[in-house]
Amino acid sequence: MTTETHHETPSPHEPIELVLARLLRIGSIIAAILLALGIGAMLLGGHAVVGPRLITAGLLALLATPIMRVMVAGVIFAREKDWRFAFFCLVVLCSIVAGILLGHEHGG
Amino acid sequence: MAIGAGIVGSVLGLGGGIIIVPALTILFGVSMRTAVAASTVSIIATSTGAAVAFLRDRLTNTRVAMWLEMGTSAGALSGALIAGYLHQRFLYILFGLLLAYSGYNMFRTRKAELPGEVVPDRLSRKLNLAGSYYDRMLGKRVEYQVTRTLPGLVLMYFSGAAAGLLGIGAGIFKVPAMDQVMRMPFKASTATSNFMIGVTAASGAVVYFARGDVKPLVAGPVVLGVLLGAVVGARLMVRLKTSTIRKLFIPLIVYTAIEMIYRGVKG
Repeated sequence: MTTETHHETPSPHEPIELVLARLLRIGSIIAAILLALGIGAMLLGGHAVVGPRLITAGLLALLATPIMRVMVAGVIFAREKDWRFAFFCLVVLCSIVAGILLGHEHGG
Repeated sequence: MAIGAGIVGSVLGLGGGIIIVPALTILFGVSMRTAVAASTVSIIATSTGAAVAFLRDRLTNTRVAMWLEMGTSAGALSGALIAGYLHQRFLYILFGLLLAYSGYNMFRTRKAELPGEVVPDRLSRKLNLAGSYYDRMLGKRVEYQVTRTLPGLVLMYFSGAAAGLLGIGAGIFKVPAMDQVMRMPFKASTATSNFMIGVTAASGAVVYFARGDVKPLVAGPVVLGVLLGAVVGARLMVRLKTSTIRKLFIPLIVYTAIEMIYRGVKG
């Protein structure tokens, strides 16, 4: 394993922080727009189904963002041949999936 | 209310459940299940909304975050597995005392802006955990080392387990673990905690969604407010002095400690 990867060292790729920042920003903007539209639709008293659906879509977009974040971080670490950290991301993903499956069982 | 929770949560690296759950149940008469579900989704909002600014300023240490997330997610998983087999009252008292102790430690170091000279341990060097960020308040670049890497991971495991078992304490254990045990600068600790809580909350939120506990009419407005608050809070936080953030954190940690011990004693 190499000993570089300090923030200042020039890398052929964009720093991981900026890639993740962009991903999280896109996720939160999409979520915010869907939520605002949904709440707006409800306040205007439009279709009784449209508002809640839009809000749910916004909440789901928000929910997917951190999970995407772990996946993308894993891909970036793997691309930089930082296998140790790519493995850490994989461990985190596996426990998330296991937690979800377990929760489903408990929730019936 | 939700915007306020987002600001507080993003500045302090917490989820904001401390504010949202009581506000929804007491002020708005929402059921506990719905309130907890809405609060879990809004933890993701706090994390995601604030992380953008923290990542840009390099306050978030992504390597430390990935390393510690193994602990929190494994802890949350085992917490959910063993829930029901353990004495909850005992756990409340135990974690409450732990919080009280770290609150006391934080009070002792309340004036320190930066941790001073830290010698990294072997694991920290091997994993390359050292970081640096530009502190706008101090007007200089802060380089820092990370130490006690393995104890940090173990603490995160328990922090995750506490969240899984008791449903509270998304960030309140993480910040002291990074600040006091791993000796990271306080701002880097809260930003990294903020970054991490989104992941744990997401796996919990999926379950609430599947159970139908996430009510769009309640969660929608709350989450949107928290999201906006988090964006504002993050911009505010990078301009605040460490000692100011600490002063805000200490009363919250003390309050949570008392609340947990009280719950444990009352049963």
